[in-house]
Amino acid sequence: MEITIDGQKFEVKEGITLLEAAKQKGIYIPSLCHLPGRDPSPRPCGLCIVEIEGEPEPVRACETRVRPGLCVSTNTSRLKEIRRQILETLIGRHYGDCKAPCSAACPGGINVQGYIAHIARGEFLAALNLIKEKNPLPLSVGRVCPRFCEPRCRRVLVDQPIAINALKRFVADWALAHGETIPERLPETGKRVAIIGAGPAGLSAAYYLTLYGHQVTIFEAEEEAGGMLRWAIPNFRLPVEILKHEVQSIINLGVKVKYGKRWGRDFNLKTLFEAGFEAAFLAVGSTKERTLDVEGQEEAIPALKFLKMIKKGQSVRVGERVVIIGGGDAAIDTARVCRRLGAEVTLIYPRSRMEMLAHQREIREAEKEGVTLFLMATPLRITRQGSRLEVEVARTILSEPDERGVRRPIPMPGTQRIFKADTVFSAMGQRADTAFRSYGELEARLKTSPGGQIKANPSTQATNIKGVWAGGDFVSGPRTVIQAVAAGRRAAESINLYLCGTKKTSVFVSPRFNFSRGKRLDEVDVSQYQHIPSRPREAMPERDPELRITDCDEVELGYTPEMAIREAKRCLKCGCLGLHKCDFREVLIKEGVSVTNPLKKPRYEIREDHPFINLDLNKCIRCFKCVRVCDYGGIELDIIDLGEGIEEIHLEFTDKCVSCGSCVDVCPTGALTKKAAVVPRARGEGKKINSVCPYCGTGCNIQIIVKSNAILEITADAQRPPNYGSLCVKGRFGFTFYKSKDRLTKPLLREELDEAFREVSWDEALDFVAARIKKIVHQYGPHTFGVLSSSRCTNEENYLAQKLARAIIGTNNVDNCARV
Amino acid sequence: MLCGANPTEAHPVVGQKILHALKKGTKLIVIDPRKTYLAARADLWLSVRPGGNIPLLCGMLKVIIEEKLYNKDFINQFTEHFEALERYLATEWSVERIERLSGVPWVFIEQAARLYARAEKALILYGLGVTEHRGGTNGVICLANLTLACGHIGRAGTGIMPLRGQNNVQGACDQGTLPYTYPGYQPLTEDTLAKFEEAWGVKLPRQPGLMEEQMYEEALKGNFKGLYIIGYDVAQTQANIAHVWKALSRMELVVVQDIFFPLTGRFAHVVLPAASMLEKEGTVTNGERRIMRVRAAVSPPPEAWPDWKILCELSKRLGYEICYRSPRDIFEEMRFLMPIYAGASYERLDSSEICWPVPEEDHPGTKILYTNGFPRGKASFGIPRHWPPGEEPDKEYPLILITGRRLYHYNCGSMTTHSDGFLEVCPEECIEINPRDALALGIKDGDLVRIISRRGEIEAKAKLSNRVLPGQTFMAFHFKDRLTNILTSEAVDPKTYTPEYKITAVRIQPL
Repeated sequence: MEITIDGQKFEVKEGITLLEAAKQKGIYIPSLCHLPGRDPSPRPCGLCIVEIEGEPEPVRACETRVRPGLCVSTNTSRLKEIRRQILETLIGRHYGDCKAPCSAACPGGINVQGYIAHIARGEFLAALNLIKEKNPLPLSVGRVCPRFCEPRCRRVLVDQPIAINALKRFVADWALAHGETIPERLPETGKRVAIIGAGPAGLSAAYYLTLYGHQVTIFEAEEEAGGMLRWAIPNFRLPVEILKHEVQSIINLGVKVKYGKRWGRDFNLKTLFEAGFEAAFLAVGSTKERTLDVEGQEEAIPALKFLKMIKKGQSVRVGERVVIIGGGDAAIDTARVCRRLGAEVTLIYPRSRMEMLAHQREIREAEKEGVTLFLMATPLRITRQGSRLEVEVARTILSEPDERGVRRPIPMPGTQRIFKADTVFSAMGQRADTAFRSYGELEARLKTSPGGQIKANPSTQATNIKGVWAGGDFVSGPRTVIQAVAAGRRAAESINLYLCGTKKTSVFVSPRFNFSRGKRLDEVDVSQYQHIPSRPREAMPERDPELRITDCDEVELGYTPEMAIREAKRCLKCGCLGLHKCDFREVLIKEGVSVTNPLKKPRYEIREDHPFINLDLNKCIRCFKCVRVCDYGGIELDIIDLGEGIEEIHLEFTDKCVSCGSCVDVCPTGALTKKAAVVPRARGEGKKINSVCPYCGTGCNIQIIVKSNAILEITADAQRPPNYGSLCVKGRFGFTFYKSKDRLTKPLLREELDEAFREVSWDEALDFVAARIKKIVHQYGPHTFGVLSSSRCTNEENYLAQKLARAIIGTNNVDNCARV
Repeated sequence: MLCGANPTEAHPVVGQKILHALKKGTKLIVIDPRKTYLAARADLWLSVRPGGNIPLLCGMLKVIIEEKLYNKDFINQFTEHFEALERYLATEWSVERIERLSGVPWVFIEQAARLYARAEKALILYGLGVTEHRGGTNGVICLANLTLACGHIGRAGTGIMPLRGQNNVQGACDQGTLPYTYPGYQPLTEDTLAKFEEAWGVKLPRQPGLMEEQMYEEALKGNFKGLYIIGYDVAQTQANIAHVWKALSRMELVVVQDIFFPLTGRFAHVVLPAASMLEKEGTVTNGERRIMRVRAAVSPPPEAWPDWKILCELSKRLGYEICYRSPRDIFEEMRFLMPIYAGASYERLDSSEICWPVPEEDHPGTKILYTNGFPRGKASFGIPRHWPPGEEPDKEYPLILITGRRLYHYNCGSMTTHSDGFLEVCPEECIEINPRDALALGIKDGDLVRIISRRGEIEAKAKLSNRVLPGQTFMAFHFKDRLTNILTSEAVDPKTYTPEYKITAVRIQPL
C-alpha cells in the first residue's frame, strides 16, 4: 500500500506500524522505548509521535498501523515542541558525566579513564596502545606533562586526585622494559609529506602520517631530534636515552629524518613542493628568547641557551653563586641544573609563588634541592665588578589596576639590595620570530597574528597556504609538550584527509549535550563519595634531594606494577560506560535539545552487587526495555509516583536472572552497564570483529569489540544466524579468560613424570616431542600412538590433527572430545 | 520434543529460542529425569527413570503403531523394515514392561506419542541424556524411528537434531578426527585412501584405529605408548578418571596443547601454550552444520601459538614438511579433499555462513537434509534393543548420580573459572539432593557431604533441590577441586564407547 511521510510517497507492507515503516524507508522518528518483537512499554516514551492528516491530535507511530493513503508528518514544530518537553523532563531526572572530567581536560584528547581502567586490570600494553592513539610520546610526556587532567580529578573530593601522569609514565616505562606491539600501518599511499622540525609536534605528526601510510621526511636543523625535549629539559627530568628511545621507535616505523637541514638556508617551501612533497608541516618551535629589560642585561645568560649547552654535554662553569631572573620552567630547570653544578642559587621573581608559570610541583622540588626563592622582587640593574656580577634588586608591590584591570609589579622605593653572583641567567620566556618571512615567496605569504605568531586553523592546523600546515610552539608560542603533540596529530589527520582527497565528516560533539556531575569541583555533590574509603595516592618514589643534586640522573623513579595497579584502582570511573550505546544522548543531539537543567545531585547509589552488571538508576529513563527483553523474569522494575513530578525507581535483579546481559545491550543509557566493559568509548569506536562464541555447540555469532588489542565487549549481530542477537552469560561475559595471569605462556617440559616441569623454548619442546614420537613409532609401531583433537580447535586444526596421525605418524588412532 | 537435554543451561540460546516458541504456542514435550527449567514449562514432562529412554521411546512408537498415527505414505516411499519394527515392538514391549523400565505411566506415554505424531511439524532435539548411556546408540535409533514413522523429517520445523555440546565438536568430527572416517565422513575404503595418498604423497595406514577409550584399555595392557592431546582435558572430563589417570601414567609420551594448565598436565611430559578461540583464525562448524569464520580479535600471549602452527612445526620435525602460511591454505586443501565442504570458500564465509553439504561454489548450502529421500536410498528402521545401565542403585549404593552441565560454567571450567564474575555466581561444585532424601540422611542445605561410588569418593556441599527426584542426585564436573568423574561409571556404549556419565550408583554420607 502507499502512504505519504513528510511529503514523500512510499510503498509499504501491510500490517506493520508507522514506526517500522519509517525505519524501513530511512526516515528518522525518535523513540527510546521501542523494542521490536516485544510488548509495548507500560510507560511509552511518547517521542515517536507523528501527525496524521485529518486527525486532530498527534499519535504514537509505534502503535499506529499503516493504512492506505495515510499522510504523515514526523517533524512539525508542534511535534518538536512536545518532544522537547518530554526530553527536558528526562534531562531533569538524569545525573552523571557523559565524559570523565580528566579525559575532557586533556589537551591531547587522551581517553584517560580508559587507560587507567586498563592499568587497574593489569592490561598495561592495552593502556599504552590507548594512550598512543592520541600521544606517541608517552615516555616523555609521562615525565614532563603539567597534568591538565589531575586538578579536575573528582577523587580529590574523597582524598587526593589520581596520579594520572605517573600512571601514563608507568605503562610507557613498562613497555620499554617488556616490549610493545608495533602499531598497524595502513598500506603505502605513495604520498610524501615534509615535516619541518623534529620536536614533539613534528614527531607526533610524523607518527600518525606514517601510520596512515604516507612517506614522511622530517627536516631538522639540529643534529638530533626532540626539540625542546632534547635541548631544554634537563636529564634529571627526562633522561636523554629515554627520549632517544622514543624518537627511535617513531623513526623505526619508516620515517626519514634529515639532520642539519635548516629551513631558509637549505630549503624552503617552494623547493620542498618542487622536490615532490605534497604537504608540509611547519613545527619549528619557538626558540627566540626575550631579553631582560634592565641596564646591564647583556651580562645575563639566556636560560635556554645555557640549558642547551648543558644538554649538548658542554662543560659550563657557573661559579659559586648564581642568580636567576624569571619564574617559568626554564628558570626552575636552570636553577636545578646550577644546584647540580655546585652553585648556590637564588631565583628572583617579581610576583608571588602562586603566580609563577612553572609547575608548583617543580618549584617545590627545586626548593627541596636548596634553591632559594626571592619573590616579589625585580632586578634594577646588573653591573660587573671584576670577575663577579652584582644584581641590584628591589622588592615589588602591585600597581593600581590599569585600563585592562591588570596589576603590574613595580619596584618599591627604598628596598634596594645587592645580590652578588658569579653568573646571572635571564629566563624571560620566548617571543615570536618572523624571520621565516624572508625564506621564500610562499613563506612571505604566510599569515601571522598581531603578536607575530603564524596563523593556523585551531582544529586542522592548516595555514592560509594550500598544502602547508603549522603547529606546536611555532603557532601557539611556548606551550606544553602535550599541546604540541595534539597539534601534530590534528595536522596529521587533516593532511591525511587532504592527501586522500576526502573531506572530514564533522562529528557533532558539543558540550551542549554532555551531562556533567558538575563543571567545577565545588559544584559536585560530595555525598555520593561518602561511602568511599579514603586511600591517598601512591607516592612517587624519588631520590633523596641531597643525593640527587650530586648527579644528573632522573629524580623520579616511577611506579612498580603493584603501585600502578593500586593507584589505578582508586579511579572513580566518572565517565559514562554506556556512552557508546546511549540513544538518549543521540536523540537529544538530533532534536537539538541541550542539557540545560539536569539534576544537581544523585538520587540513587550506584550498585555493583550483580556479578556482571552495574546499575546506575540516576541514568534510567524509564523505558522498561530491560524488563521487556528479559525472557526469564530476571528484573523487577517499579516506578512509584511521589507526586509533583517526583518518582522513585525500584529495580531489582531477581533470583531468576540468568545473567545473559540482554538487558544491558538494550538499555538506551548508561543505567545498565557491563562490569567487564571498563573503557568508555563513543558510539562506533573500536573495531568490530565477527567471530563465533567459543562455548557450546550452538555456535552463536559474536561481535567482538576490540581496541588497542583488548576486548572491550562482546555482543551479537541481530541479523545473523543462528542466534539473531541473543547471547547467554558465557557468550556475553565469559571472555576475560584470555588475559588471565594463569594462561600458559611458555612450553613446559620434563623427561619423566616424577620430575618437575621446566620452561623451555619452542624448539627444545618440539624437538623433544618429535624425537620421542619417532622413538615410539620405531620401537613399538605407529599403532601404539594416538592423537586426540577437540572442539577447542578450528576445523583447519582438526584436519591437521588427523593428518598428523594418518599421514605423518601412520595411524588411524585419532579421536576427539565428542563423547563429553 | 526435547530429550535428555537441558538447553537453558547447556545451550542457553537454544533454550531461549524454545521459550520464544512456547510463547507463540508451540507444544513442548520434555523427556528428562530432572525437572529442568523447560521441563517445568513443558506441556508434557516425562520424568523418565535414568536408563529408561529406550523403553519409553519404544512405548511411544508402540502407541503410534497401534493407533495408526504413523505417516503411511512417508514410510512406504522413503523407508524399509517397518514391519520388523512392528513385530519387535509387539513381541518385546508389553505395556507393563515399558512402564516398569521407563518409570513413566502409560497414559503419559500415550499422550506424548499422540502429541508428537499428530503434529503437523515436530522437531526432536536431543542431548547427552540420550547418548551418554550404555544404550546410547539405541536411544538415538529410537528417536530416528520416531521421525521416520511420522515423516517428521526433511521439512522446515521437523527433523532430529543432536545439541552438540562444544562449539566445534561438529567440525572436529567433520574433519575426520575419528578413527573410522576420513575428513568429510569418507569411509576408510581403498578409493578414499587412494585419493588421500595421492594428495598427501604418502602411504596411509590400513589398520583400523582405536577410539579414545580403547587407547586407555590398550595402554593399561602395555600396548599403547603415547598420546598427543589438543585442547581436551581428559584427566578431568572423562568418566571414571582414575582409570584414565592409570592409563596415562603408563605412557612414554603425553603431550598436551592448551590455554591453561590442564589436569591432564599432571600426566604429561610436555605442555604447550596455545592460542584461544579469541586469538586465532579459521572456521568452526556448529550443530546445524553451519560453517562459520572465527577471527582473531586480539593477539595471543607472546609465546602462545595457534594450534595449527604448533602442528605444522611438529610435522616438520617429524620429517613431513607441511607448509601452510595460514589457516586459509589448510582450508583450501580441505575443500579439495572434502566434497561436503568443497563449495565453501573464505570469501563466501566472509559475508555469510553456509550449512554443508555445499558441493559447489555456487551451491547455496543445505539447511535441511533429506528433503527428497535419503542418501542410502530408503532409510531403514532400526531394532533398538534395550541395554540396561551399567549399574543400578542397590542397598550399598542406593542413589543415582546424574551428571550434566551448569549455566555458569563450561566443561573443564578453564575458560569460565578464569573469567570475571563466574566464580562469584557459581563458586564451587555441589551435589543436588532431593529434600526427602536429604531429610532421611540428616543432611541440610550447604552441608559438606561425602559421595561414594564403587570407584572412589569425593566431598562436596549438598544443595537441596526439587529439580532432582527422590533417589536421584545431580552434579556437574566443571571444577578441579571436586572431581566428580572420580565417581562416574565405567560402563560405555559398546558401539561408540561413550561413557555412561548419566548413571552412577552412589551413597552419600553426611560429614
